[in-house]
Amino acid sequence: MMNHVIHMTIDRTNRRFHIGVLVNLLGTLIFGVVSATAAPRDTPAWQQREQERIAVVQSISPTVVCVMPPNGQGGGSGVLTSADGYSVTNFHVISGSGNFLKCGLNDGHVYDAVIAGVDPTGDVAMIQLLGRPDFPFAVVGNSDGVQVGDEVMALGNPFLLADDFSPTVTYGIISGIHRYQYPANTFLEYTDCIQIDASINPGNSGGPLFDIQGRWIGINGRASFEQRGRVNVGAAYAISTRQIQLFLSHLKSGRIVDHGTAEFAAETDTTGRVLVSDVVEISEAWRRGLRPGDELVSFAERALTSANDFKNVLGIFPSGARVKLTYRNRDGLQSTTIRLRPLHEFQQLPALPEERKIPSPDDPEDVLRNTEAMSPKEWAHLFESRDGFTNYAFNRRHQARLLTPLLKQLESHTRLSDTWELSLSADSSAESMKLVIARQGAGLNQGNTPWHQDANTLNPSAEPDDFPGLLTAALQWHRLLRDPKGSWSETVYIGTEHHHETAQEVDVLQTREGPVTCRWLFAEGSPLPYGVDVESGAGQDESRLLFVKWNADGEIPFPARIGVIIPQSGDITWLTVHSAEVRK
Amino acid sequence: MTGPVNVFSAICLLTVSAFAEVSRYESIADSSSAVVKLFGAGLGHLDAYGSGTIISADGHVVTVWNHLINTGYLTAVTADGLRFRLDVIGTSAVHDLAVLKLNAAENERFPYIDRVAALKPDVGSQILAFSNMFHVATGNEPVSVVHGIIAAETELAAGFGRWKLPLQSKVLILDAVTNNSGAAGGLLTDVEGTPVGLLGRELRHDDSGTWVNYAVPFETLNPVIDAILLGGSVRQDDEEAAAPQISDRQLTSVWGMTLLPKVLKETPAYIDRVIPGSAAVKAGLRRGDLVVLVNDDVIQTTAKLRTYLAQIRSGLRVTITVNRNGALQSIQMRVP
Repeated sequence: MMNHVIHMTIDRTNRRFHIGVLVNLLGTLIFGVVSATAAPRDTPAWQQREQERIAVVQSISPTVVCVMPPNGQGGGSGVLTSADGYSVTNFHVISGSGNFLKCGLNDGHVYDAVIAGVDPTGDVAMIQLLGRPDFPFAVVGNSDGVQVGDEVMALGNPFLLADDFSPTVTYGIISGIHRYQYPANTFLEYTDCIQIDASINPGNSGGPLFDIQGRWIGINGRASFEQRGRVNVGAAYAISTRQIQLFLSHLKSGRIVDHGTAEFAAETDTTGRVLVSDVVEISEAWRRGLRPGDELVSFAERALTSANDFKNVLGIFPSGARVKLTYRNRDGLQSTTIRLRPLHEFQQLPALPEERKIPSPDDPEDVLRNTEAMSPKEWAHLFESRDGFTNYAFNRRHQARLLTPLLKQLESHTRLSDTWELSLSADSSAESMKLVIARQGAGLNQGNTPWHQDANTLNPSAEPDDFPGLLTAALQWHRLLRDPKGSWSETVYIGTEHHHETAQEVDVLQTREGPVTCRWLFAEGSPLPYGVDVESGAGQDESRLLFVKWNADGEIPFPARIGVIIPQSGDITWLTVHSAEVRK
Repeated sequence: MTGPVNVFSAICLLTVSAFAEVSRYESIADSSSAVVKLFGAGLGHLDAYGSGTIISADGHVVTVWNHLINTGYLTAVTADGLRFRLDVIGTSAVHDLAVLKLNAAENERFPYIDRVAALKPDVGSQILAFSNMFHVATGNEPVSVVHGIIAAETELAAGFGRWKLPLQSKVLILDAVTNNSGAAGGLLTDVEGTPVGLLGRELRHDDSGTWVNYAVPFETLNPVIDAILLGGSVRQDDEEAAAPQISDRQLTSVWGMTLLPKVLKETPAYIDRVIPGSAAVKAGLRRGDLVVLVNDDVIQTTAKLRTYLAQIRSGLRVTITVNRNGALQSIQMRVP
């Protein structure tokens, strides 16, 4: 009977009528089935769910980006993350495409975009779409809260099908969570990723994964391809938005962003415990007591049940993050924090391994020449090349954002280069102390004990026992205030981070001079720093200070309180500053 | 008319289960916990990993009878990350089935699926497939789960290379890519977690050459599993025995070796003796080698090897893969 109806519709003269009949028949059929199972007057539940899903797809589609290299070869997908056009895609999508791209949205328009930052290890790239202050953007969901069996939708531009840039939607379920996918060489490593069975094909790369409510939970970047060619086989992997959020501000910094190493290795033993197999002896973990054979209990607040878990958690953090580490040795449970060290320190963007390249029929050199020619003139000022950076123009802008207000604040202080004398007292005692900071050295008079640190040697054993790192960090503090810009051989904006001890969101500006690296922390609302972490040599603990409530009325600005973060415990020892004076 | 009605009732079923999200997660967790990851030896297109489904609290595992079973050092990793060696309880070539048992302590209990309670849902029903596809799930991670629909129930003419699926009864054809590398032996359930069947191999259809996603219903496998559990292998069709086999005399005079005598129905293809100076010795074959592959064909028994050697033409180059003291070795030689 069904066949008969379909045949009738082919009669062109009465086409409309016959389709109408078909629809009516189908409608009756659907209604008949539904009315047998659902309450007669309500909208059937499945129909309601379908309507909801259609509404969700309509609301998220405008946030999906069709990413195209300017020469029109290959391409991929992306997702808008903010109204000013910042969009996330895969590193392997934009690699080799030059500094500017063309991006299509489902409004049918093509926008210019500039490359802002890349994370080759995590296969993530940030681009900025240009020419509009009000781009639609995706709402971030909780990728840590997803469960196997959850319904998901992948949006993107598989096979570059959509000429009008309306994304293709594929539906599936979450097949696995906390998956690990091995790197190619040493990068393009997918850690703690989400495995889905929604169709993912070439061109989907970099596109968003949404939960069924339309909240963004991942970036579809990779699929298992074996003997069936590069098409969907029901196993694809999305980078979690949890990882992407930890990297977001770093990716906007214009740097070649790096992942971290904990400087120790772990393996799962036969009973399912995670044991430390090797520790670098100049590492912070070693200094905090971690030794081979100790049992790793948790890392970055995640309980570990396998060495793979450890690799998974480690992989979602950027280099420089400070994470909590809990381990068990023969004295019992130990908790400490360590800072992740850089894994690669890329100076140049790494070339994609052959098998991960998006096939292009053209000679690669031709493609490169084309992309140079296609950089749009009106946006040329938004790109600046420099070693170690994807696009230095973005970094320069962020440096200015932090340093311009600081310079303005310091303008009125003319004696910042002189010797500072701060009188202070520790919370734990009424005893008054004098902290003297000058260009050549810093000293602390604590009762009868004089401590002195020389600016040229920075000897860790010269630091006061009760306030380790105070003098080393104070010397850098003096340096920052007397010449914020000119005093360092290198200044780099890193991104934002969650300050581990105080849970404050801070911007990080890193300066380097000789062996000394400072991470200057800036919090919203003050042009003067929130704190500083000073690394004065390999294998030494950082000197870490916090500055609270700056008083900028006197000859020099000074904080009402100084916090000294004790490396061994992570505790903060507070000092109250009573007055600050300047002398020659 | 029954086709579309079934599709619509399947959609309604999905809706109902969606309202009971918690039970859905629970049934997914339960099904995953009954699927083990198998690891053995592979070569070329043959994967070194697979899947198995636990069917008893004692740790009986069903999977397909493929090259993994014959490698001699098969390991199973359960959903909680524990490792077990496996014993082969019995096999049935015609049903492409192997029943194994986790080599665990007497009192050890495993999560398992109730194969007796298995159902065969109608065509159009939603299903979930659990497997160790692409060995994505390492360590203590649960296996992967994908969703799909039963697209058809039919006999299947399919194979891989020279190997043809011997199964004569109907299989369930699935509309999702369930039969991936390492998925064979995984579990097919309905959306509520009721067992349906065992996922088959990666095969291409004989006519179209397209990859087929199929599962064999427990309804078909249960009598075979019962028979194996009662004692030994199920009798196979004697097709194999009827095929010409190389004689002992030819084996010694031409190849210069003898095989383990056929003491069992499925005697593994061990080389019993090699004659000094013979073609076998020159090529590097040794006494005690277990022949597991000739070119890409899996050799499961001495009978299979004898049949193969009877067919192969003199002068051809072959690759014989043997398991020697637990390690696979490939030996290239010209057929003498």
